[in-house]
Amino acid sequence: MEQITLALAKGRPASSTIKLLEETGEHFSELHEDSRKLVFYNEDKTIKVIFVKALDVPTYVEKGAADIGIVGKDNILESQADVYELLDLKIGKCMFAVAGKPGQKVDSNQKLTIATKYPNVAKKHFKKKGQDIETVKLNGSVELAPLIGLSDFIVDIVETGSTLKENGLVVLEEMDYISTRLIVNKASFATKSAEVQNFINQLKSAME
Amino acid sequence: MQRYILDNNKNTNVDDFQVRDGLIQKIKSRFHTYGYKQVRTSTFESYDMYSDVAGTVNREEMIKVIDSSGHVLVLRPDVTIPLTRTTALNLSVPNSYQRLFYVLDVFRQSEEQVNQKESTQAGVECFGENSPEVDAELIMLSIHTLKDLGFNNFKIEIGHAGFFKELIKQTKLSHQELDVLLSYVQSKNIAEMTPYLQKLSIDEKVQSAIVSIPLLYGKPDEVIKQAKSIILNKKMEEILQNLTDVFSILQDFGVEDAVNFNFGLINNMDYYSGVIFQGFVDSIGKPVLMGGRYDHLSEQFGHSLPAIGFAFEVDLLIHALIQQGLTTNQSKPIDFTIQYTKQKQKEALHLAYQLRDKGYTVLIDTKAAALNNSGASCVIRYEETQNTVKIDNKEQVFSNSIELLSLIEKGDT
Repeated sequence: MEQITLALAKGRPASSTIKLLEETGEHFSELHEDSRKLVFYNEDKTIKVIFVKALDVPTYVEKGAADIGIVGKDNILESQADVYELLDLKIGKCMFAVAGKPGQKVDSNQKLTIATKYPNVAKKHFKKKGQDIETVKLNGSVELAPLIGLSDFIVDIVETGSTLKENGLVVLEEMDYISTRLIVNKASFATKSAEVQNFINQLKSAME
Repeated sequence: MQRYILDNNKNTNVDDFQVRDGLIQKIKSRFHTYGYKQVRTSTFESYDMYSDVAGTVNREEMIKVIDSSGHVLVLRPDVTIPLTRTTALNLSVPNSYQRLFYVLDVFRQSEEQVNQKESTQAGVECFGENSPEVDAELIMLSIHTLKDLGFNNFKIEIGHAGFFKELIKQTKLSHQELDVLLSYVQSKNIAEMTPYLQKLSIDEKVQSAIVSIPLLYGKPDEVIKQAKSIILNKKMEEILQNLTDVFSILQDFGVEDAVNFNFGLINNMDYYSGVIFQGFVDSIGKPVLMGGRYDHLSEQFGHSLPAIGFAFEVDLLIHALIQQGLTTNQSKPIDFTIQYTKQKQKEALHLAYQLRDKGYTVLIDTKAAALNNSGASCVIRYEETQNTVKIDNKEQVFSNSIELLSLIEKGDT
């Protein structure tokens, strides 16, 4: 058996993914979300786990630095990586949405300014609607942008909507549904078929 | 000083070029052994030709140039189209075979890879007949070449443009709906495809057939068996038979382990008409080769000419070779160095000519320092008092070039 490399997203989504991995029966010593280590192995060293920044997971997988990745759909959409998306792990559920001040109308004849952590997702959404936009890429506290006049609207992930509410914003348009997905490098799927399929099947049965 | 950041400064040093040239030589000699002859197409092509030919190169990706008379030209964005055009127009005897290959740069720009405007393709085109034998032999050629390059873990994925097209014909999808569906099939995203299909009004049998397309992947025998269960009409049955035939020929070539079937392989469906295939090597996420049958392309130039071809992405292959440590030093070693004093210049230059004429690589200089570290296996010195030659650390004296050449021949044997 050849070794397969699995890229996981650091931070918030890690804990539920680790739980799922444990349920497959593979044991990773020292693997827990607070660990500072970035590389882990299972007992027979057939699986190598690496921790990388969530948005980088699709890139690692697309370029072949990892064979498999487990990451949120939001990051897959934003990175536009050319990979196989084989499983919906049904965890970390939320959605993309256009949000703004209550009563605002999203459609306009004028160019809109959209603040977002996900400029590619925003561009794609508004292009489909035929709406001209300009994006402002922010790395956090996106909700602030419409309040201080930096943008007309924001595009962001919405889980419960409470952050929006506390800042006086509302969802104006719902976009894509998001959850944690399993992605696979296209070459690995061809050259390491057996190993990759085996891992997917383990994960599938752990989900049931 | 103004510093310029160049677009494409990759593989421009001497060693990199030797690796690149060695790889291209291997590919070329393999293409030769299957009876293919090298050709080239013009670097400038007509923009109108590319924009008229349906389903080929994205107009935005082409690099346009305007000549002095105002005609819009493009830098060769692809080789197959001009090659098909000239072959179709110049075919003197109908149904005669044309086996052509090329190693040429193609030029495209895309938003994702702004700095990657030029890339080298090494490809073959076989014009003349549509048969499983021709298809299988071309796939065999791609496998044979990958083996030559030293890859031991690679896979050729084979699919068919018509199989999925037939399924789509059973539905009434709009362009946008089809685009969404295609992206789901290409990423094997069944989790999202299933609910999406249920929303559209499609016959249940067709729906379940479409959902199973991404899963029709793996060992050809098994995929063929599974595919039988979703066949809806005669046409699909013929396609599956065609693929079965191609695979059985590949088995007789003895390369069944190098191929997988992938029915979800549906890129450029408008362009390809039959077998489609692509090749992957370890750890490179993009296919290093792509190809397929495109029988209808020549019809756009008013002729009917069955054709199949594929092309290697040379830059990706080099990247893969380097990553897997498969590059060997291709550069030819220096055979001789000749150091001489000015008085014996005539003798020395004459000897250098003779040796080079025999095909040896010779460096010559009056200063010893210029010849140090050349790694030459044989060092010749013309000094004022004597002439010496050092072969394999054994130093000998010689009087003239005839004596020297006989010493060298002795050393060689």
